[in-house]
Amino acid sequence: MTTFKGKGFLFSFLVLIFVAWASPAYVAEKSPYKIGVNLEFTGPWAEVTKTMKNAMVLEVERINKMGGVDGHPIELIFEDNGFDLTRVAANITKFTKDNKIIAVVGPFEDNLQATSRAIAEREKITNIIICPSNPQVRALKQKWAFNIAQSDIIVSQKLVDLSLARKYKKALVFHAAHPLAQSLAEYYKKFGEEKGMKVIISKETHKPTDIDMTPQLIKLKPIIEKEKIDVFYASTAGPPGPIICRNLRTLGVKTPILGTHAFGFGFIIALGGEAMEGVEFGAGKPVVPDQLDENDPVRPVVTDFDKRMRERYGVGIDQIAGHAHDAISLIEDALKRCQGKVTRSTFRDALENTKGLKNCHGVYNYSPTDHDGLSKTDMVFIRIEGGKFKRVRFPRFE
Amino acid sequence: MNLWAYIPQLLASGITIGAIYALVALGFVTISRASQIINFAQGEFVMLGGIITFFLLKAVNLPYPFAALIAIVIVILIGFMMHVLVIYPLRKASVLILLMATLGASIFLSSTSGLIFGTLPKALPPFSSGSPLSIGEISVLPQSIWILLSTFVLLILLHLLSHRTVLGKAMEASSTDPLGADLLGISRNLMVFLAFGVGAGVGAVAGILITPIFFTSYSSGTILGLKGFIAAVLGGWGKNSGAILGGFVLGVAEALSLVFIPSGYKDAVAFVILLLILYFRPKGILGSPFIDSRRW
Repeated sequence: MTTFKGKGFLFSFLVLIFVAWASPAYVAEKSPYKIGVNLEFTGPWAEVTKTMKNAMVLEVERINKMGGVDGHPIELIFEDNGFDLTRVAANITKFTKDNKIIAVVGPFEDNLQATSRAIAEREKITNIIICPSNPQVRALKQKWAFNIAQSDIIVSQKLVDLSLARKYKKALVFHAAHPLAQSLAEYYKKFGEEKGMKVIISKETHKPTDIDMTPQLIKLKPIIEKEKIDVFYASTAGPPGPIICRNLRTLGVKTPILGTHAFGFGFIIALGGEAMEGVEFGAGKPVVPDQLDENDPVRPVVTDFDKRMRERYGVGIDQIAGHAHDAISLIEDALKRCQGKVTRSTFRDALENTKGLKNCHGVYNYSPTDHDGLSKTDMVFIRIEGGKFKRVRFPRFE
Repeated sequence: MNLWAYIPQLLASGITIGAIYALVALGFVTISRASQIINFAQGEFVMLGGIITFFLLKAVNLPYPFAALIAIVIVILIGFMMHVLVIYPLRKASVLILLMATLGASIFLSSTSGLIFGTLPKALPPFSSGSPLSIGEISVLPQSIWILLSTFVLLILLHLLSHRTVLGKAMEASSTDPLGADLLGISRNLMVFLAFGVGAGVGAVAGILITPIFFTSYSSGTILGLKGFIAAVLGGWGKNSGAILGGFVLGVAEALSLVFIPSGYKDAVAFVILLLILYFRPKGILGSPFIDSRRW
């Protein structure tokens, strides 16, 4: 009896092993294209990157269900970098050692990018970066790194357009003490002064961790009054945005406030409350998925993706979900266009030749000189009204 | 530009943030008076107070006062648990090891909060709505007045506890004279246990008071804890009145420093003040019962 039981067990065990070994061969005829994802799944951006992961999984599953790319499924390999520079470096190095991995997506934050980009350049692997890069990093003209978000240049151009449309003549910029916020301030000054505006960049700055900006703003208040400033530009990201708006309103300053595209998140309005009313900025189209023009080229993409996100996760899209969609869509498109065998190098060349790809954030065009992809026309003007993002339009500026 | 014109408004802003430092410092002092332990998880109690109230208010939909009250009770229970799980098993270890243990507890509490309640910063609605009040040139938020009033009330309550009740005196005795406390039959472990509850409660109140003005995220306890610690040392380690004074001095000094130096160096001011105090008056402004002046 015991022997029989033992044999039965052994037999079923062998069958199991056989099934486990053989089944992938039946499901996927061709080997998967692996993509490494190196994001801040823990740390301050954990919730944001979770949205990103959800959206990426959704897109990859859809592509694989439809037969993948020429029969090859896409496989995502997630690694958490914990908002830590050494782990960013360790993760991308690990990805480069696996020769099945064709490209690496991430990291997210500006200050983690430089390391990742340098390793990608050395190891010759495509690195798709989420946040815009600061000018020092962009000036390196790295061959293997691509950005997918709106760059500081086009954000500043769009904001100057907004200022001109609102007929603001004099602006005061209060920027965070990090390179990206500073370059946003400087480009705004450069483009604004080309169009005849007067832009003052404040000597006072703030840190992303500051919880109270009142002391800095007290020093700026007399400048606002004396120079008759028309508009106050808070060049910052994350919680400092709403903190500045609240502190400024508490001090009784009624000057209109401009923000960066990083103001386009629901949690920013929740933090700032009433002080956020009337704040305006330029941002990507996924901030207002339901308010796009009928003839907008990316409207079908945005509406369709918004619908699928709602069906699967119960929440609509935001800028981050849009970036995740765009990353996967760019990868899929480039894989399809690879010349000959898909390798790291043919993939890079294909990605660099992306032309007119309609995505959530706009129409992407990469070229050897432009690794940012988007243009000013891919952004819209947003105003915070009644606790919601509302698109505003101006005849000559769109 | 006349620098002196800024000063009234800077003072108002410094006093508000000073009250918060004072509340955090009070929590440090309460625990150290009973046990000589420096509880580096104090900032995390502040963070938990704000975040748990936010959770009860938004996710469970409790009324505001009720949510705040339950949050304080929960944080006090966390304080008790921290004593039972971290401090009590290490009661025979040196103070240095206990300090490391509280540091570990602080990392544990902030990460757990990030996992359970999410990592994005949160803001509570203000206690009383309404626009900023302007007094002459100065404008203040009604919430700042709430903070000042509550700090005052808490100070009186803690003063009564430590100077007018047997319990408070027993708590202090177990720290200043352990042998004497043992001879009088005071359970020192029980006293430290209770002190952790009181310290956590004070921290939670501070958290609920500040979250409407300064947003609270899972990681904001660290810097608040550090500033509160500096305030407690500045005023005189181990004294309630010292903690309050130290908090206000630190807050006002940080705000006023902006008149003279660029804002990028604001955080350094606290540490420079701490160094100066440690060089020239290690007992703090009001003197410390724990630091023997003969050694200096």
